Amino acid sequence: MRKWLARLAVLGVALLVAGQGQAALAQDPAAGKKIVRVGATQAVDSMNPFQAVRLVSTSIHRWMYGFLTVPDSKTLKPSPDLAESWTPSEDGLTWTFKIRQTKWSDGRPVTAEDAAWTFNKIMSDDAAKTANGPAVENFESVTANGQDLIIKLKAPQASILENPIPIMPKHVWEKVTNIGEFSGDEYPSVTSGPYIAVEHKKDQYVKLKANPDYWRGAPKIDELQVVFYDNPAASVVGLKNGEIDLIGRLNPPEFEALKGDPNIVQWNQQGRRGAYLQINHGATTTDDKPVGDGHPALKDQKVRQALHWAIDKDKLVAEVQNGLAKPAHGSIVPPMYTDFFWEATGDTKVTYDPAKANQILDDAGYKKGADGIRTMPDGDRKLEFRFSIHTDTPIEDKLAEYLTGFFKEIGITLTTKKLDSSKFTEETGVTGLFDIAISGWSVNPDPEEVLATHLCSRRPTPAGEGGGTESFYCDETFEKLYQEQLKELDRPKRAELIKQMQERLYTDAPVITIYYTNDLEGYRKDRIKSITSVPEADGILYGASSFWPFYSLEAVESAPAQAEGGSNTGLIAGVVGAVVVIGLGAFFLTRRRKSVADDRE
Amino acid sequence: MSVASARRRQALSRFWKDFGRQRTGVVGLAILVGAAVLAVIAPLFIDESVTNVVTAGGPKMAPPSLDYPFGTDESGRSILLMVWWGSRTSLLIGFLAALVSMLIGTVLGIAAGHFRGWISAVILRVTDWFLVLPSLVTALVLAAIMGGSTFTIIMAIGVTTWPSTARLIRAQTLAVEARPYIERSKALGAGHWHVTTRHVLPNVAPLLLASTTLEVASAIVTESTLAFLGVSANKTSWGTMLRGSYDWGAATAGAWWYILIPGLCIVAVVMAFTLCGRALEAVLNPRLRKAGA
Repeated sequence: MRKWLARLAVLGVALLVAGQGQAALAQDPAAGKKIVRVGATQAVDSMNPFQAVRLVSTSIHRWMYGFLTVPDSKTLKPSPDLAESWTPSEDGLTWTFKIRQTKWSDGRPVTAEDAAWTFNKIMSDDAAKTANGPAVENFESVTANGQDLIIKLKAPQASILENPIPIMPKHVWEKVTNIGEFSGDEYPSVTSGPYIAVEHKKDQYVKLKANPDYWRGAPKIDELQVVFYDNPAASVVGLKNGEIDLIGRLNPPEFEALKGDPNIVQWNQQGRRGAYLQINHGATTTDDKPVGDGHPALKDQKVRQALHWAIDKDKLVAEVQNGLAKPAHGSIVPPMYTDFFWEATGDTKVTYDPAKANQILDDAGYKKGADGIRTMPDGDRKLEFRFSIHTDTPIEDKLAEYLTGFFKEIGITLTTKKLDSSKFTEETGVTGLFDIAISGWSVNPDPEEVLATHLCSRRPTPAGEGGGTESFYCDETFEKLYQEQLKELDRPKRAELIKQMQERLYTDAPVITIYYTNDLEGYRKDRIKSITSVPEADGILYGASSFWPFYSLEAVESAPAQAEGGSNTGLIAGVVGAVVVIGLGAFFLTRRRKSVADDRE
Repeated sequence: MSVASARRRQALSRFWKDFGRQRTGVVGLAILVGAAVLAVIAPLFIDESVTNVVTAGGPKMAPPSLDYPFGTDESGRSILLMVWWGSRTSLLIGFLAALVSMLIGTVLGIAAGHFRGWISAVILRVTDWFLVLPSLVTALVLAAIMGGSTFTIIMAIGVTTWPSTARLIRAQTLAVEARPYIERSKALGAGHWHVTTRHVLPNVAPLLLASTTLEVASAIVTESTLAFLGVSANKTSWGTMLRGSYDWGAATAGAWWYILIPGLCIVAVVMAFTLCGRALEAVLNPRLRKAGA
């Protein structure tokens, strides 16, 4: 019975820890100050933009630093940020950016030298490549001349105007000797954007104050805080209690939990994420050697198409996503990006039709056995696929249940395999130990990166280093189109090529896009007066591809001296809970000892 | 041999009479038999399709009604049918995990009690080591490494809960082996195998039965806990239902039936096992009898 005590003690400690989480930020919002607190369910991985890859970190860096260009908040087309203007050379290989005359938050001027240093650092130091290495792969050289930044490319690249690298102050960051180890935790930070980070407590919060000298004008609030929560349910409670003012990236159940609160605005708009099934169609490494243990039937495009016909996307949207998504009749680029979005029509369009799926499989020779499960045409291996999902993701669990049901109707068995995220990334991106896996991508205004994840060169190396492939795809047609779109500087023509690439993905089906999830967020209207999304009117607030929402937001002044006790309640409750639980445990233990002479001689 | 068998029959009927006097034990046994029979005959009435989300036709999170006596879950499946079908997984894992735990515990316990010296020391140190491992965490890690299937969950629970059984059995073995007739038996040429299987095992068996009964209860709770923490056999069980109710916000949606029904099932079965186990202990353990329990 000792283990019961152990378990109870664990529970008690858990309660204590849970109670403590939010108490750390227990300071009273200074009266009269305009403070906005944003909730996040992931913690900052690094405050060093050369290292940060999590959305929460890159978002914070978007609020802190300037970029060469920024997507326009209305059209999402590249518009001036730190670069006032730019001119490509005739051959498209040399780009000259004119850097804006402005100041870093410590008063030093921003020059092209800063930008050149930032890019050169990433190009020359492997440790600085973690966050944005691929973005400079095509750079031949970067030099500065006064306010002019000259970038020479190895090959033409239309997406240079969507460069995702924040420009860092050279005079501060060149002193960092080991960029790979540096956490960036030096405050106040030196920035050129609307906010300056002033404090970061690991796994708890980041505090940013407004940059009064920001060249677009200071933000309309004084302070922005990012508060971390361990789980989404807690963050929703936090929003309801007024611990935070805004929370983004909600799942449908949490979003629906916000319903009915008169102070909370439920933000439900089109999102920038497509969710798709990644199919192991014969994974190979960069030297074209097979890798992994994918089911041979999935090498057949007909089987992959049959799977596509068997999926009822409308039902998935209605019942897995509670209607808060859009069924995908295109590929990996979501409809938000109207310029690049491709939608299947006519004969290419795949809809829900299990009869047709059965027909395709029958014609291709996959006969049903006595148990209703199909077998390979040239052997007796059954069509039994594994479906790899992440642990602790109820939505993926539910999706797996539905897909299992759908595929059963066409004589295919699907079993779910749950993996923690590092193992998942390894098995579905490097070692190829999967049949079908869930995946998804939050697409930037320029879809080049998401398309690049299906290139031959992104496959893992023979030595087993992942290249960031999303499908192990390696297709001649796709590669050719990719190279063409790189060179095409005319936007409509380039969009046409990108659409052809998506069509190729759709018909060849290395990935099957199932739906585009909506952007679900919530904010308190008694705290936030107004906030503008990207794109304006029907876009994204938290996690948008520009600083705009959190620059434009207007807050209500915080009431003086809010109930101090409120912030400690969690801690007190946690302590009391722990004591009670441990006490009960001890009580039962001693009582048990008295009544039954359990394990004594 | 007729004398021995007659004596055994007599002992059994005395045991039944004693057990019958433990009213709570009888109640527990009745609940257990009921639950087990229901779980066994379930395939005669329903099949796995009651857990299939695609074919479930009911309204989502509907309160109890005539069509759905215990309401429905987030995909419109009947909670009643799911609890019924899920009892098979929960009970199966509970029983088998307890069995695994009992087998390991008995073998090692008897070995540690019978063989003195370094064998005993090694076994005891291993047992101690397993005893101080936080069993829930170890089971979680094991199940996560081995992947989710009924077998791995059973093994994960089984290999983390055997040490207390081993300790108990060792203690009893020591007591039994101190009796003079063991010495007599040895003098007549009995080997290790004969002594342990013919004399020790029958004497520790009653205690083993009681301890295993309690172990099943704890295994069912552990299975539910693991499922709630996200490690399950990908089959509907009471634990996965509780997990589902948490994941899909049954509490905020006010769907009490989704939380309460599987929870009560766990409580009822676990309590029944505990009642039975305690009654068995009271009947079989002479020291407790003397204490007037």
